Amino acid sequence: MQVEKFYYDNKIVKAFGIATVVFGIVGMLAGLWAAIQIYYPDSSLNLAATTFGRLRPLHTNAIIFAFVGNSIFMGIYYSLQRLCKTRMFSDKLSWIHFWGWQAIIAAAAITLLMGATTGKEYAELEWPIDIAITLIWVVFGINMFGTILKRREKHLYVAIWFYIATWVTVAMLHIVNSVEIPVSFLKSYSWYAGVQDALVQWWYGHNAVAFFLTTPVLGLMYYFLPKAANRPVYSYRLSIIHFWALIFIYIWAGPHHLLYTALPDWAQSLGVVFSIMLIAPSWGGMLNGLFTLRGAWDKVREDPVLKFMVVAVTCYGMSTFEGPMLSLKNVNAISHFSDWTIAHVHIGGLGWNGFLAFAILYYMVPRMWGTSLYSKKLATNHFWLGTIGIVLYAVPMYWAGFEQSIMWKSFTPEGTLKFQFLETVTNIKPLYIVRSIGGALYLAGAFFMVVNLVKTIAKGKFVANEEAEAAPLVKEASHKKEYWHRILERKPVTMLVLSLIVVAIGGLIEMIPTFLVKSNIPTIASVKPYTPLELQGRDIYVREGCYTCHSQMIRPFRDEVKRYGEYSKAGEFVYDHPFQWGSKRTGPDLAREGGKQTDAWHYNHMYEPRSMSPGSLMPRYVWLLDNALDTASTPAKIRAMQTLGVPYPEGYDKIANRDLMKQADLIAANLKKDKIETPSNAEIVALIAYLQRIGTDIKAEPKQTIAENK
Amino acid sequence: MLSFIRKTSKTVLRVLGVFLLISLATPVWAAGPPEPSIFSNPLALTFIILMIILLIIIGILAYILIGAADLKLRKEKKPGASSAAAFVLPFLLLSGSSVFAQGGVKAEQTTVTATSSIGGMAASTFYIMATVVFLELLIIIVLLLNIRFLLKKEKEKIAEPVTEAEIAKVIEEKRNRLSWWDKFNSLRPVSQEADLDLGHDYDGIRELNNRLPPWWLYGFYLTIVFAAVYLWRFHVSHTGPSSKEEYETAVAKAELKEKEYLKTKGENIDENTVVFLTAKAELDAGKVIYEKGVCSSCHGTDGSGIVFGQPGVGPNLTDDYWLNGGSIKNIFTTIKYGVAGKGMQAWSSTYSAKEMAQIASYIKSLKGAKLPKVKDPQGELYKEEETKPATDSLKIINDSINAKDNKVAMN
Repeated sequence: MQVEKFYYDNKIVKAFGIATVVFGIVGMLAGLWAAIQIYYPDSSLNLAATTFGRLRPLHTNAIIFAFVGNSIFMGIYYSLQRLCKTRMFSDKLSWIHFWGWQAIIAAAAITLLMGATTGKEYAELEWPIDIAITLIWVVFGINMFGTILKRREKHLYVAIWFYIATWVTVAMLHIVNSVEIPVSFLKSYSWYAGVQDALVQWWYGHNAVAFFLTTPVLGLMYYFLPKAANRPVYSYRLSIIHFWALIFIYIWAGPHHLLYTALPDWAQSLGVVFSIMLIAPSWGGMLNGLFTLRGAWDKVREDPVLKFMVVAVTCYGMSTFEGPMLSLKNVNAISHFSDWTIAHVHIGGLGWNGFLAFAILYYMVPRMWGTSLYSKKLATNHFWLGTIGIVLYAVPMYWAGFEQSIMWKSFTPEGTLKFQFLETVTNIKPLYIVRSIGGALYLAGAFFMVVNLVKTIAKGKFVANEEAEAAPLVKEASHKKEYWHRILERKPVTMLVLSLIVVAIGGLIEMIPTFLVKSNIPTIASVKPYTPLELQGRDIYVREGCYTCHSQMIRPFRDEVKRYGEYSKAGEFVYDHPFQWGSKRTGPDLAREGGKQTDAWHYNHMYEPRSMSPGSLMPRYVWLLDNALDTASTPAKIRAMQTLGVPYPEGYDKIANRDLMKQADLIAANLKKDKIETPSNAEIVALIAYLQRIGTDIKAEPKQTIAENK
Repeated sequence: MLSFIRKTSKTVLRVLGVFLLISLATPVWAAGPPEPSIFSNPLALTFIILMIILLIIIGILAYILIGAADLKLRKEKKPGASSAAAFVLPFLLLSGSSVFAQGGVKAEQTTVTATSSIGGMAASTFYIMATVVFLELLIIIVLLLNIRFLLKKEKEKIAEPVTEAEIAKVIEEKRNRLSWWDKFNSLRPVSQEADLDLGHDYDGIRELNNRLPPWWLYGFYLTIVFAAVYLWRFHVSHTGPSSKEEYETAVAKAELKEKEYLKTKGENIDENTVVFLTAKAELDAGKVIYEKGVCSSCHGTDGSGIVFGQPGVGPNLTDDYWLNGGSIKNIFTTIKYGVAGKGMQAWSSTYSAKEMAQIASYIKSLKGAKLPKVKDPQGELYKEEETKPATDSLKIINDSINAKDNKVAMN
């Protein structure tokens, strides 16, 4: 048969590679800065843009979508061409994809620091960027499928199955979770409210981990690990079983982020059992990686690429075992809202995603520049620095999480809480310091890599178009009897459709009843929509990223009810677009904050938290005292809420601002009694209005029962 | 002959394992429901740990022995076999038969004695455990003797010259040999990899078709069973508690415990029985909480209502003006329940009744001290003041006496 000659496009891989390194360092720096702010609040510079609540979303988005995202594209563009024995479908689309993605990252960075956020974790970007992501994702999809369709290899290798599943699932997750109603160019409200919003958000959030940080990276592992080790893949059979089981089961596990919350118990249980069933499929990936190294372990001692891969795959195994354990309700009762979760994700992030990205860079760069790595020793030093960094990061966070959680739950024999919330935070401050040292070491390692790669590039010559040859694909009239899955591997479109069906099932079964069956969210008559001022205050709460440190979800535990008040009910959140339950308590829960403190206390606390609670780690929010509230947006916001079904009276948007000013004047007058002079249109007034409202509606109902209990 | 030894020793191991499991489980069943767990007894726990450690040692030794016997077996096949086997066998048989013999005795013991106790556990349990440990020690000695015997013979042989071919053969055997790890994962030797190669080639990547590691597969099945049982328990049979039920039980249990504690400690103070504590120790304790806690962040460190030189959120506590009453009972009530909407939190979940009485008393004691340099404007927030007459101190004493009388009367 005639062999065809063609060229692989290395230029696009190089571009994504550079983006990976640059955004990796940016994202890690943002993380380090945020970590330092936790024990040294003044390092926020007291600027709105650089305060923890805005920096933390920047860190998570930069790491997930900029660092890991670019590393995935880098790896896919490299491996897909080689696995399909063809150049990418269209160079033009490749470059639209590249520049489009970088533009999205830049827009994300700017808007997040401006405070434009939807307030939903890992989906914080506002609607125009959401649309841009969708478009670029489609471009990537067309380019990938075009490449697959014009391949010279009859069957699709397991790595490509993972790429396909990734593409289709991320598209589904992103579109469903981003359904929102725009209010202005950079402000929108989530279509869903309260419990439903929480379910959709964590279905998305959990599967962002699954299908953005796991499946594509597994695909990369399936290509780069056997290549680097020069060993055959351990088990094809295992690949098939763990692939289908993984994508099917993963989707269901989202509710394990909402255990003991107001989410219906049945949905929580589904989250638990599917998380447990996820252990084996996840470990299938780890086994296929580690057993592939069988007979090559002597190479691991020599080769930094393999060293990084081994630790990456091991970290993957550890965190995918830990995850299901954290999904057991009795473990989750301790781990949730504490730093344990932070430790868990960083085993995955630093170990699995970070180390695998480094391994791929060390593998590819010398090959694309036709040379060898500048210094193996430097790479090995990077490896050890990174590994020590991970340990120094994770161990203190496990410790902090466990210790703080136990302190929260400690009672005196008289039945009172043993520790005030603040004590439990200041107690773990030293551990926060050690954690940031671990992070700094990891970052230092990344700088080692930059030096090493730059030096490698300097001594090589870039091969922009790598020559390759292969026979064209011929249509065979009849296939001899094939294993059933082999047939599927010849049909990429069938594979795509089948993947979509498999991943859609779990979400549908969990969401449809939660949306349609009324008994899942029992209504509470006394729960009323927010007043216009409170609504504006709530938007400020969202904008400043308060949810990154404060939860609004009191779980039915003795200690939480004692500390914060009656546990949260599903019916309380029906007007919350978006929900603000949070996932971490660096500060106390605010679900029943209304009425606990005076207006003056809040005012002083926002100006200088340490004046009201000495030793507090909360940053200052001085700008809220000076900024004037944007009341021009009120009518549009009310109308948007009406569209979403919030029962404001007809035509209320026109008089909303009148009510708003009335309430603001009351608060300003109240503050004046405490010798605080503030204009009624200051942002702080709206925020105080909201804080004084949270969780109070339910108190209007059974007033005497609370008194009687005492 | 030697292969027979191998088999025998394996059987012995298996029997012993099963037997040990049963003997571990029996006492738990025999003791019945009243005994919460055998693991709460330190002696029993020590025994169990000892048994497990010894069992592991036996496992390792048996493995070594099997390996040594294996090697021997292959050597034996060559001409000039020694009669070592004849020597080893009796040992193994002996150890095997002794297991069975002792097993019989033990079964009898379980049924007969169950009345007296040794070291906090049933006598029968103690004897069973002691016997198992003794037996395990015995087996270890026998195994050690066997190994020593085999190795001694081996050492003598090593002195003989070895040919190159023999060395090559040993290496080849090693490649084909499967370690326990390989067996555990049902891995084939690397040398037989070609048989598993599927002939796939993706950019030079080949694929093998290894069998799924059995532990992985059965582990997967197990998690599926777990899922079914879990859903059944919590949502079909409802034998598992819902989140709400879990909460209610926890609270009920805790309340019962608290009541009992307070009863035994006799510190059941509430707003009706609280008295002004004038003892220095009590006031100092109150002071510590006042300053260490967050009282001072609203009311000032000296109670003046001045925080960082500015009027604080809370009122002055040293003057004669009160928002919610100035008697010890009033102050106690304010601390305990808070004042809704006014910023005063309810502290009953943070401080015990005793502590709240100490804080209230300390606050009351501040009244005399009108000394502070920076003083809050008199009557800050004095809408609803409840002024105390000048003969305040007298009244307090009266109050407290009355309260004490009340308490006595109630008792």
